[in-house]
Amino acid sequence: MAQNDTDWVTLLAANDRRGKTSAARRTGPNELIWKVALPESVRSSPVLSDGAVYVTCRDGHIYALDSRTGKERWKFRAGAAIDSTPSISGHLVLFGCDDGALYAVDRTAGRLQWTAEAGGAIWTSPVIHDDIVYFGSTDGAFRAAERSTGKIRWSRQMEGRICSTAYASGQLVYFGCSDGRIYALEGSSGKDAWIHQAGDAVIASPAVADGVLLAGSEDYFFYALDAGTGRVRWKFETDLGIYSSAAVTGGKVFFGGKDGHLYALALADGKEIWKSKPLRTLTAPPVAGYSIVCIQTFYGATQAYDTNTGEELWRANLGGSLQSTPIVTDEAVYLATYPGVLYALR
Amino acid sequence: MNRRTFVFSATLGALNLGLGRLSFGQGGSRLKSLEIAVHAPELPLSPLGMPGLFPGKVVEVFHDKSIVDRRVSPAAIHTMVEDGMKALTGESVPRHAWARFVVPADVVAIKVNPSGVPGTVTSIPLVREVIQALNSVGVPNRNIIVYDRNSNQLEVNGYHTLVPPGVRVVGLDQRWSVEGETRGGYDPNVFCEMDCFGERETRSYLASVVATDATKIINLPCLKEHNASGVTGCLKNLAYGSFNNVARTHVDPKTYTDPVIAVMCTAAPLRSKAVLHIMDGIRAVYHSGPFAWNPDFVWEAKTLLIGTDPVAVDRMELEIVEQKRRAIGVPSLWDRNPEHLGTSADMQRSASKSPYYREPGHIKTAAELGLGKWELNQIDHQKLRVG
Repeated sequence: MAQNDTDWVTLLAANDRRGKTSAARRTGPNELIWKVALPESVRSSPVLSDGAVYVTCRDGHIYALDSRTGKERWKFRAGAAIDSTPSISGHLVLFGCDDGALYAVDRTAGRLQWTAEAGGAIWTSPVIHDDIVYFGSTDGAFRAAERSTGKIRWSRQMEGRICSTAYASGQLVYFGCSDGRIYALEGSSGKDAWIHQAGDAVIASPAVADGVLLAGSEDYFFYALDAGTGRVRWKFETDLGIYSSAAVTGGKVFFGGKDGHLYALALADGKEIWKSKPLRTLTAPPVAGYSIVCIQTFYGATQAYDTNTGEELWRANLGGSLQSTPIVTDEAVYLATYPGVLYALR
Repeated sequence: MNRRTFVFSATLGALNLGLGRLSFGQGGSRLKSLEIAVHAPELPLSPLGMPGLFPGKVVEVFHDKSIVDRRVSPAAIHTMVEDGMKALTGESVPRHAWARFVVPADVVAIKVNPSGVPGTVTSIPLVREVIQALNSVGVPNRNIIVYDRNSNQLEVNGYHTLVPPGVRVVGLDQRWSVEGETRGGYDPNVFCEMDCFGERETRSYLASVVATDATKIINLPCLKEHNASGVTGCLKNLAYGSFNNVARTHVDPKTYTDPVIAVMCTAAPLRSKAVLHIMDGIRAVYHSGPFAWNPDFVWEAKTLLIGTDPVAVDRMELEIVEQKRRAIGVPSLWDRNPEHLGTSADMQRSASKSPYYREPGHIKTAAELGLGKWELNQIDHQKLRVG
């Protein structure tokens, strides 16, 4: 199924995890198109495809809403709270659930197609590559399942929780783990390709750009590793741990730190280009376009900066978020807040 | 359910409760009398319950390398906890020390303090160390619950993601699951009822984790000043982190944190299940707590305070914070000078300003309610320097 330019089909827009948006919105949204108050918190990010916004909620439902009106198309009830950002693949929308199951639902009607079982809550977003669905779980296992049936192909047990959404490309699949390691596994078998040991947990979801894997760690460092070998190309130290996944565009890497700064580094060598004024603490991933980078803060705002200078361009004070990323298109900005309100803004 | 009523008068002595004369406040805040009704199950007082196996004993452990290059050191925390537990219990083997408090069949709730993001919260290395210690005496991860009132604060600090697989992390403001059964955060049958400032909702309900699920509680508060209660230590971390609807007890500049904190800690499930307190003073806060946004008011105390008596531990915490404030040259936590009142913004800028007349007297009130030792001459304060 062809994607539109404005489709955001999984966490950070697309499966390359670059968080890149084609939108060049230099001014802030100033008009409410619609808003929907969901029954409980939204911890995940909304995704957008073919005129529908899909959002998971801790009330145990995934909602499909018309992107123009916010009107509910369907909702599907899973077995427990949902913290996982959904992914769209063909006619399926896939997401993990706190009941330990990965769900695949028909995205036109919201009917269950299959489930795949894990041993613990699934907070990661499933990643689909070559008809295989990859997902980690808080039980410490990383699994590969068949996209058409959910049948588990292989599983690897690690020593910590996996809350880092994987990146799959070519022959390898990459993810972080709270055991302090970044793993590169062979996608076909689950065997180790390489492992990088950081100083503490890696919760952030890796991004890969120009052959470099990019991810921050609780050990205060942001790492750039050779995606083929795991060799450290460079690392950059912040003032606290890093939970926020990175976005990459125009030779720059962006991520938030728990120290409250949004950082912009040079992809080539990790040199700091700019950092924002401290925003108390940042855990959500940013999204980066060719001229703007946006991030949702824990304490109440979505903020946009010039990618080159770090100048603050606009902010929307609509409610905070821990992990949600806004969808930024030229037509609209869609954002979900931790209290459970989904906004469409123009 | 049992119903007990406490009546407190502000400064002029107490109404008679059959509990002796109780009063609160230091005379500056002119509060009205307060009646608090505690609805809780009647449980026999466990010898492990507060003040626990070692009334009046506080072990203060210092490790110079507990923070290295701004990072809390797991290796140093391991040494501090092991040596501190041995000193507290007199056992020579750490596992035996822990076995004084928990058995393999226990469901252990770990009460953390996540409200000082970022940095001045119960540190992840300490939580992991306690989990490992519980594992060492046979408590499996599936029987360990890390909890607090606020799920967003838990998550922003990473507790959900950084503890070992199997350990449950519960924010009481969210529903959670126990073996497939969905559960609310609070037990509707266990509550404290009082009218502090004419608020509409006069009940504060107890966490279901405490009332129902846990058989033991390990309390991991932080060594922090609090702008209303003076310090947020063992007692406040337990009471205000386990009961809901508690912010209503302080409306600037007045606060009922004394006596509410103390009374809440007498509620039978909380009192009987809280068996051990390890206060995280690796990074400590002498002003603008509990959130401590201004890093100027944070210092590296590199200390853990360990005990079973929450009153004695909080009393030593109070002494440490007072000593720090004297050294800095800012008013005492007992200060009653109205010129030192200010807004929250003032408090963030100046260590001489506070929105409240602080009331650290809740610690003494807790002693009067039988929860531990307040007088310094009754406290066995042991200092250890390790590493």
